[in-house]
Amino acid sequence: MKKTLMTVVMLVLVLTTMLTACSGNNGSNGNNGNNGNSATEGTNSTSTPSPTPTAENTEQPAEPFSVSLRHIQIGEAQKFRKAILDDVVAMTEAEVPGLTFELEGVEDSVNRFTKLPAEMAAGNPPKIFDLFGGEGDALKYGAAGRLLDLTPIIEELGLSDKFLNLDQFILDGKVYGLPIGGNTEGFYYNEELFASLGLTEPKTWDELEHAAQTLTDNGYTAFAMGSKGAWVPLMLVNTLIGRYAGPDSIAGLASGDATWNSPEVVAAFEKYGDWVEKGYFTKGELGFEYADMLNEFVTGKAGMMFDGSWRSSVFSDEAQAGALTNKVGFFTMPAVDGGIGDQTFVNGNYSNGYGFSSDLTEQELVAIKAFIKNLYSDEMQLRGLLEDGILPSIKLSSDAMNQVEDKIVKKVITIMSESGGAFSHFDSTVPSSVYKESEDLILKLIAGRETPQSVGDKMQAVQDKASEE
Amino acid sequence: MKQTLRNPWIYLIMVVPTLVLYCLFFIYPMVTSSFYAFTDWNGLSQYKFIGFDNFIAIFRDSDFIHAIGNNMLFIAFAVVVQVPLIIFFAILIANVRRLQRLYKTMVFIPSILSTSVIGILWGFVLHPNIGPVNKLLSLFGVDTIYWLADSAWALPAVLVVNAWQWMGFYIVLVLAAILALPKEMNEAAEIDGASGIQRAWYLTVPLIKPIISVVVMLSIAGAMRVVDIVLVMTQGGPVGATEVMASYLVNEAMGVNPNYGLGTSISLVIFAFALLLTAIYQGTFGRTKE
Repeated sequence: MKKTLMTVVMLVLVLTTMLTACSGNNGSNGNNGNNGNSATEGTNSTSTPSPTPTAENTEQPAEPFSVSLRHIQIGEAQKFRKAILDDVVAMTEAEVPGLTFELEGVEDSVNRFTKLPAEMAAGNPPKIFDLFGGEGDALKYGAAGRLLDLTPIIEELGLSDKFLNLDQFILDGKVYGLPIGGNTEGFYYNEELFASLGLTEPKTWDELEHAAQTLTDNGYTAFAMGSKGAWVPLMLVNTLIGRYAGPDSIAGLASGDATWNSPEVVAAFEKYGDWVEKGYFTKGELGFEYADMLNEFVTGKAGMMFDGSWRSSVFSDEAQAGALTNKVGFFTMPAVDGGIGDQTFVNGNYSNGYGFSSDLTEQELVAIKAFIKNLYSDEMQLRGLLEDGILPSIKLSSDAMNQVEDKIVKKVITIMSESGGAFSHFDSTVPSSVYKESEDLILKLIAGRETPQSVGDKMQAVQDKASEE
Repeated sequence: MKQTLRNPWIYLIMVVPTLVLYCLFFIYPMVTSSFYAFTDWNGLSQYKFIGFDNFIAIFRDSDFIHAIGNNMLFIAFAVVVQVPLIIFFAILIANVRRLQRLYKTMVFIPSILSTSVIGILWGFVLHPNIGPVNKLLSLFGVDTIYWLADSAWALPAVLVVNAWQWMGFYIVLVLAAILALPKEMNEAAEIDGASGIQRAWYLTVPLIKPIISVVVMLSIAGAMRVVDIVLVMTQGGPVGATEVMASYLVNEAMGVNPNYGLGTSISLVIFAFALLLTAIYQGTFGRTKE
């Protein structure tokens, strides 16, 4: 009897252990008809959950549900766009009964290169998330069926013709993401420092290099640079390629009309290497982050900084810019000698915005439609422009655009309107394997372990391999 | 009860839950994931079987060979520098008469700190412009050293920080072994005129050889799988200067161009390396005489 009892007890224990181990919490979304492919998001909820409805409640309050939202608006420099996002979230929650957003702030490159790829592979991305356009991001995830086709939604909301540029989010005629704004990349410069050294805003290539040399000779860093993340120096390289090899080269590198080891593209790498050798960049740049670059510039240790127009709001905010508040100018990269094509073209991107999971319930879809309606409204886009210096991604009236007072934003708008056109960043046109190689090689070029020609040759080899596949 | 325990089936039933869990959460994932090492799986597209291509690619990549070299440096540093220092400090603390527990706690503190905390902490300490190390060195006229940005200095800096983090744990381990030794032997040697150094070298060290052997083995295993401190401090940079096999795995498997197939093959190579080195050590220096 004892023996049998012991055996039964042990068997029960074994079965309990196995069942516990094998069971999953699939019921968390069970009420809303989720097809079970998504995991519950372990995020920091910023909103208080709505009360659970009871059977006795005759008013039948809306069934509470949550939608996860991953953003990259963290830190002081992003506070203005975070405020806009918070307002959109509040508006959407007020509009959709029962909705609570679960906001999760993640650092830009961690989201783009670590978290999101892993979640996409596992099939459980957040419902709304920050997304970059292009081959390595939106188009890849769209092709894999992970992203919501937004074409019918923007049509329903009357937004189809309002976006200025959706190229980097369109695959086979379907829209898989919506850019939150546009930007260009250029040089910020310290006006007071320039004046004290007898320098003026560079209009030509010679003036730019003269300014860099003068700054270096006087013990300043010519160009603040934080190359720990390789995408930072690649911003400058991208515009150098656009200048030396022409505006069409960026798209041409992916299509095969241009090659990485052509003399024109190699000239861009050569120029970067030349500036490294001349000591124009931050000493020890390989150990500094993107944020360090801004610190060096803001503290007056560097005279110039090549960065995106999305940084402009920092320089009108005393809390961030300190003594440099409203004393920073912006100019686009001047024409290079012997450069191919129209040298007035600028680096212009509409590549960062929001994407949405394809795995949604009816309720979540309603919430997402409301979110899109509120975020991509004239009001919010204008706020982004005025408060944050982000160029709108949708067409705004000229009256709205004329409200801009920030001098850098005004300059950016002028530069873009006077340019012959825009070329994108190659990270959105070339396959991920090619972009990854460019990250490795630019760092090796900076460290003196590769020559401009070897960088070009190796890049082309990877490009050829990717094209074959 | 005695009769029950005589039944061999009882033992089997007792072992089965553990075995099931072990198979479910260790053997099964390991075997199934090993399959992906022979594919080009990127997590999104349909994968295809590519044979040993991943393994060939790994060993053709000079960055991976460099990473293996860095792992070997971690091992060499652990065995040649860390272990002697661990023994030295353990003997030192074992012989102090006052505040022994305070010293024990102090050396142990770094081991309980999260690696992220240590990485950020040392990031400040080694900061080229505001870090106290450079401030101190500048007093002696030393130029700014870019500890984590200079290929020449980054690996030594990470090695030192890694040692700082883990030495305390091993010191406490060795200290426990020393304190467990009978005091009479030491006293007898002292009466016979043996100096402190002689007693440490001829008595203490031989008697704690088994625990030293364990410390060396754990150090080798730890050096093979070191990754967190590298990722937190340098992400394998600058330009691969501090890249180790596991950080190479992280950077290849995830990141800009995720390749889980390649990542799995790298993890199998790391596993094989760790197994081989541990076996070699156990078969040679680690073998204790009966």
